[in-house]
Amino acid sequence: MSRPASPQLDTRTLIDALLQEQRELTAAERFARWPQTEVRPRTSSHRQLVPLSKPNPGEQYAFEVDLDRCSGCKSCVTACHALNGLDEGETWRSTGLLHAQGRHSFQQTVTTACHHCVEPACLEGCPVLAYDKDPLTGIVRHLDDQCIGCQYCIFMCPYEVPQYSSKRGIVRKCDMCQQRLAHEEAPACVQACPSEAIRITVVATHLLRERYRREGEDQALEVRCSQFLPSSPDPAITLPSTRYVSARTLPKPLIAGNGQDIRLQHSHFPLVLMLVLTQFGAGGFAWLPFVPADAGRLLALLAFTATTAGLITSIFHLGRPTKAWRAFLGLRHSWLSREIVVFGCFEALAALVAIGQASSRAWTRWLLWPASVLGLVCVLCSGMAYHVTQRECWRGRLSLGRFFGSTVILGAAGAWTAAAWAGTAAWLFKLVLAMSMLAKLSLELRQLRLCSDDAGLNEELPDSLPARSAYLMRFRLGLLMRVRFACAWVGGMILPPVSLLAGTGAPLLAITALLLCLLGETLERLLFFRTVAVRKMPGMPHP
Amino acid sequence: MIRQSRKPSLLRNWHGPLTQDLVLHPTAFGRVPSHLKPDAVTRTVCGFCSTGCGLDVHLRNGEALNLSANPDYPVNLGMACPKGWEALTPLRAVDRATTPLLRNDKGILEAVDWDTAMQVFTLRFKAIQDKCGAEAVAWLGTGQICTEELALLGALGKFGMGLVHGDGNTRQCMATAVTAYKESFGFDAPPYTYADFEASDVIILIGSNLCITHPILWQRILRNHQSPEIIVIDPRKTETAMAASRHLALKPKSDLPLLYGLAHLLVANNWFDQDYITRHTTGFDAFRRFVRGFTPDAVAAQTGLTVGELYRFAESIRRGQAVSFWWTMGVNQGHEATRTAQAIINLALMTGNLGRPGTGANSITGQCNAMGSRLFSNTTSLFGGRDFLNAAHREHVARVLALPPERVPAKNSFAYDQMLQAVTDGQIKGLWIIATNTAHSWINNSSFQELRRRLDFLVVQDMFHSADTARFADLVLPAAGWGEKEGTFINSERRIGLVKKVARAPGQALSDFNIFKLAAHYWGCAELFSAWTSPSAVFHILKKLSAGQPCDFTGIRDYQHLEESGGIQWPWPAEPAFPSPDPQSRAPRSALRTQERRLFEDGRFFTPDTKARFIFEQPRSQPEMVDEDYPFTLLTGRGSSAQWHTGTRTEKSDVLRKLHRATVYVEINPQDASRLGIAPETQIAVISRRGRLLARAFLTATIQPGQVFVPMHYAETNRLTLPVFDPYSRQPSYKACAVRVEKTNTSRRNRKGWA
Repeated sequence: MSRPASPQLDTRTLIDALLQEQRELTAAERFARWPQTEVRPRTSSHRQLVPLSKPNPGEQYAFEVDLDRCSGCKSCVTACHALNGLDEGETWRSTGLLHAQGRHSFQQTVTTACHHCVEPACLEGCPVLAYDKDPLTGIVRHLDDQCIGCQYCIFMCPYEVPQYSSKRGIVRKCDMCQQRLAHEEAPACVQACPSEAIRITVVATHLLRERYRREGEDQALEVRCSQFLPSSPDPAITLPSTRYVSARTLPKPLIAGNGQDIRLQHSHFPLVLMLVLTQFGAGGFAWLPFVPADAGRLLALLAFTATTAGLITSIFHLGRPTKAWRAFLGLRHSWLSREIVVFGCFEALAALVAIGQASSRAWTRWLLWPASVLGLVCVLCSGMAYHVTQRECWRGRLSLGRFFGSTVILGAAGAWTAAAWAGTAAWLFKLVLAMSMLAKLSLELRQLRLCSDDAGLNEELPDSLPARSAYLMRFRLGLLMRVRFACAWVGGMILPPVSLLAGTGAPLLAITALLLCLLGETLERLLFFRTVAVRKMPGMPHP
Repeated sequence: MIRQSRKPSLLRNWHGPLTQDLVLHPTAFGRVPSHLKPDAVTRTVCGFCSTGCGLDVHLRNGEALNLSANPDYPVNLGMACPKGWEALTPLRAVDRATTPLLRNDKGILEAVDWDTAMQVFTLRFKAIQDKCGAEAVAWLGTGQICTEELALLGALGKFGMGLVHGDGNTRQCMATAVTAYKESFGFDAPPYTYADFEASDVIILIGSNLCITHPILWQRILRNHQSPEIIVIDPRKTETAMAASRHLALKPKSDLPLLYGLAHLLVANNWFDQDYITRHTTGFDAFRRFVRGFTPDAVAAQTGLTVGELYRFAESIRRGQAVSFWWTMGVNQGHEATRTAQAIINLALMTGNLGRPGTGANSITGQCNAMGSRLFSNTTSLFGGRDFLNAAHREHVARVLALPPERVPAKNSFAYDQMLQAVTDGQIKGLWIIATNTAHSWINNSSFQELRRRLDFLVVQDMFHSADTARFADLVLPAAGWGEKEGTFINSERRIGLVKKVARAPGQALSDFNIFKLAAHYWGCAELFSAWTSPSAVFHILKKLSAGQPCDFTGIRDYQHLEESGGIQWPWPAEPAFPSPDPQSRAPRSALRTQERRLFEDGRFFTPDTKARFIFEQPRSQPEMVDEDYPFTLLTGRGSSAQWHTGTRTEKSDVLRKLHRATVYVEINPQDASRLGIAPETQIAVISRRGRLLARAFLTATIQPGQVFVPMHYAETNRLTLPVFDPYSRQPSYKACAVRVEKTNTSRRNRKGWA
């Protein structure tokens, strides 16, 4: 294409002038204002939306959401983000949807932030005392500079409130704009709600306890939930202070907008490895008293190495590992804190034993049983850390059972390997390995059976949480699950009898079994994290 | 209660850099974190919808840092919707167009400088004009840029470049209201002021999901302290229908029979204001005869409502002391939209619900500056709401602008659809698209690729090189966005508000105003626009153009006057001084609020005889009825308050993206779903005669059986819509077409079972 005559000088000048003008910002000079110097509420009515007096003893501040006024504009989310200067994409408030099933046409937007619970689970779980429940206001505050970024509070909070920031390496959460409240200014969400649907009230904590935990009455979960909000987590766990009020009778049942959408959760891979490796370590030390000295030397070394590797891996899960030394602070109530402290002791003891065994010191034998027991205590702490999250898929045997199962299995596989290497008798370990693997797999199969074989074909989503978890394992991570079972079958249930029957002591078979078991348990633990189905606040349909 | 013992600070860090980030500092408008502490603040008007909220932009060194809703602005009273709160975020997006882009020989868009871009612009468009005539180049504008910019574009296009055809995306949202008002009132004049929401005792919302589309206007309803009866007419049980006192879930597109049926009941029961009708309207007798046929039984059958519901509705209108009627896209985007809007106007006229506080037949506008575009885009009407076919109007405008009169075309522009038809027919070869996303938003959008092939040269002027339409362009001109330039918007209630430049445009992006100036320069017609030096200079030109028109705002001094007043509603003539404000208004006592003004308080309309017209026509059935093959009616509309139209801006905010679904979904009634074996959240196909889309099924009884709803924000949606237009306004009928719903092979959440 031929160009017109060469660009004229004035053309260049015009473009330059326009580009120059585009860069000039004059609004400030021409129009800026700083109307008053004193702080004033954004509109006069906000005074009615915050309490006039501070809570008395036995009372605390709470959010109150008038469902009848909330019309779904979601300004609260964005205003909280903007007025609190949160990071890009960080939100402390969220909105969800409740709607009726069947013929009833009903929809209700639900806005939710931290519920500033009477018994905050985040605080209970925090290993470093990074949470504080203000004795005067009841506001649950997160101490950002105290946080080590372990994210355990995210597991503990039934409401998914703490938000992890990988940029900062810590979690942050709603503090009810306590700095604003202290000056009788309304929190950002309260200020910004065009419908005045959110307010701050003062509630008596004993009333919340009575409402959600009726002594002697065995209330159904749904009944308890509807006292708080339909289709939400069990309020008896933490006694959330937020009140959702409506003059209408809400239709039943109400389901969450995201109630039919189950999704895979974060894999937390450092935790997967940490759990499997430390359980291998604990299992190794658990079997150590039963292993002859020659094999014991190797087993202790193996177990110590695994424990150390597991503990190192766990550091990668921390946002601020350099602050992890504080982890003992929460010993009084946090199972994670206990886990960390006990593992610290165990690691030291394990090192002593491993060194003692390697150098054939006589005093070592006095340490065998303590190490064995302490290892099991570690596993107990690990299991309890998940059990107390009150997640149905992680409760009781679903975490403790799995963890002790892995401990016994991997310990036995390790002991077999060590014995095979040292050329000593290993029938006991092979037997235990096969039996414990059988028990563990039947436990896992039982959970998988909660979801019917044709659920995937019928597109029917099971209702119960463990069944949903099973659904995810079978129909979303089917391949992973099959590999997990294959590894376990071969490593834990085929190779030991083969070895027994063949009467061979070849270490190769043992090492193969051990590696397969390790891989199998790692995949099992990956599934444990990825398929955990949880009850949460009603959300938006996604994606 | 757990009392956390406070450990010594040696072990517990109560303070530190991370904590400091969230420490709030007092400012004049509340507490903000230190990293966002401004050194000044200035108010601007939001650039999304036509509510026209005032936003306080927090500045540091003159540049925007953050924003909050302005508590004094008479529109929003300290509130904003999510889009407003996030208005600055899209400006920082990574896919901003930062330099002109020209499609090279390999078909790839490549960065060029402005000089090259504008030379090619001129050369290619002039070449088309030389070959095929001046009319072979056309433009598609917008309701999203400032009035001054729209005016310069309109003047440049029609008076400078000699184009005849120019239209805007306002055709897609407001053309119906424009036509209806023009015919009924004599001028495109939405009569209300937002205070009317607070003064009504009966509020009727027709085809409007106000809670989601205009949350701040819903706020104004909530400020109404007389517990108004709120009646929502919508096929869906929307958020607004949920919040209303009464919801009439009529069949899709049966609104016109419903409104005529109401008129019938009002006539039959003598529930009309004969005095008002006689003094201020013409055509009532014919209308009265016309509605005789719309008996409650017949209307009940057509609308799916009960006779009882119709009676109760009519009674509410009769009982109301101040009844206001409000409509939005549910009315405007229909195959007989103009008559539907006029049927609403007729109800207000016959009951005397006009010109008093809390009354009116009120169209709620869509885009932030649709109202500016309606008066000053110089497309459908000549500047100031005048007529291109009227020689006196042409001469007047030429005189005011000091132009040779022959520069003003004596011919009407094609409407949007006619223009695209002309592209298909080969009449239009060059197209300049400004701040609109035709490839996504136009009805039956799969036709766009074919349109593109027919064009010799397509220029797209946009903030984002990633916009659906920009990807099709031969030349992309990088535009500064809202917040990066100055000018005015006119909101739904006719309030002229000031938009300020508070951020620097990225790279070489220029304001649309400056791009138009550059285009005039390269075109060689800059001397015609020597007075159009800056937006504020153009504002004075527009004042002159408004003189003597119903929209006369010659009394507005300048931008500073707008700034001081919190925006000013037109009309605001210099002489005579505007009457004193209405003492009955329930607006708060702030001096600024004296500006809540409505039209027609004296009952004099803008028609030659000053009387409003009753206009009506026999309803026609939907152009595409459901049948055996396509048994569902597809409804479209706003998905959430966090989404704006085609999402070129709202999708750039991480926070807004959290507030809506990322991919297209379809709402379907559980009864239909269970009949078709569709499980929640599985993927299904929605198929019309024009195209198909795959979407996740969302089962909800808020949609009636036999209907499905797909939000408009997903590009797939308009593959299905039916290109049918209201014959008077040429506005597309987005709201109803026939589709079928199918399970797909991928319907299953996954196909692989276990074992």
